Amino acid sequence: MSATMKILVVDDFSTMRRIVKNLLQELGYSDITEADDGNTALPLLKAGAFDFLITDWNMPGMPGLDLLKAVRADAKLGKMPVLMLTAEAKREQIIEAAQAGVSGYVIKPFTAVTLKEKIDKILASKAAA
Amino acid sequence: MSGADSLSTRFRPLVLQLQAALDANDDAAFRDAFDRLRGDMSADLMPELKRITVSAQCALARFRDRVRLDALAGQEVPDARKRLAHVVKLTDEAAHRTLDLVEQSGPLIDQTAREAAQLIEAWSAYGPRELALASLWPDRTLAFLERTLADADRVRDHLSQMLLAQGYQDITGQIIRGVISLVGELEDALGQLVALANGDDTRRMPALKEPAAAPDWRAGVGPQIPGLAAADAVSAQDDIDALLNSFASGG
Repeated sequence: MSATMKILVVDDFSTMRRIVKNLLQELGYSDITEADDGNTALPLLKAGAFDFLITDWNMPGMPGLDLLKAVRADAKLGKMPVLMLTAEAKREQIIEAAQAGVSGYVIKPFTAVTLKEKIDKILASKAAA
Repeated sequence: MSGADSLSTRFRPLVLQLQAALDANDDAAFRDAFDRLRGDMSADLMPELKRITVSAQCALARFRDRVRLDALAGQEVPDARKRLAHVVKLTDEAAHRTLDLVEQSGPLIDQTAREAAQLIEAWSAYGPRELALASLWPDRTLAFLERTLADADRVRDHLSQMLLAQGYQDITGQIIRGVISLVGELEDALGQLVALANGDDTRRMPALKEPAAAPDWRAGVGPQIPGLAAADAVSAQDDIDALLNSFASGG
């Protein structure tokens, strides 16, 4: 599924969305959609049959943590892999994200290798489940 | 009753008494009439003075309660300077990183172009049959293709690194947004201070905003700044991985 995986990238900064999109394309993923916060992402997720969600945390409107909780609370979306890609680095935030069911957590600034490792690890866990 | 009539009714008797005391050169009567006139006028001023005093005290109290001057001047403005200094550092590093990668890529492209031009020149001068017969031709072409392949990989890697270097805009953007919010609060506080200093009618002063609430980490607090980082902030991906692993294993 990985090469044809449909991915939603959510970040309020368009530069970061472009960076992530380009990196994903280098990794072989081509079906990538963008959203600028949780409020625009959630309807897309509910309508779009996405396989993977990569989201920032600190966004105006609906923050990434609330988007994660909304995804986990949705019967159809609940098991979707969610990778948090954020500059938020407080210990209590990481624990909160883990408790909310985040699949992976990458701190900004990040490297292409780290992004690939986390995506691969999440997909491996999903395949093994 | 008109204003002129009211003035005449209230003050004419006292003014006439003053005039009479002057005409009679009666010092005691003059002082008595003058004191009564002064008292009468002061009685008019007192309610207005009290109203202004109470209004000013209320405005000052509101100002002290709502405008966090101590926090702004003592903590947040110095912090904002550190945040902006960090922005300068990040933009400087990103620009130099990008320029380094451009400078490293240029010679690779130049060399490929130079060797390709030499091969084209040789091809044009001798023709394919003669070149095919020349013993150096296969080795030279193979070496060129191998170098081109390796250099293309290096340039591709440089482009990826340039892409990631642009991530500074996200980090610095979040920091600058926080400073813009602080400048807005300072502008509001200064406007209030100027109005108070000018003795403006406090009833007409613009409404004070509610004091900024402490940032809610659930909504996101932005990037950690060196020298200002929260005590419980983790600083590296390895620390986050360890934290998540310990959480997953119930540690």
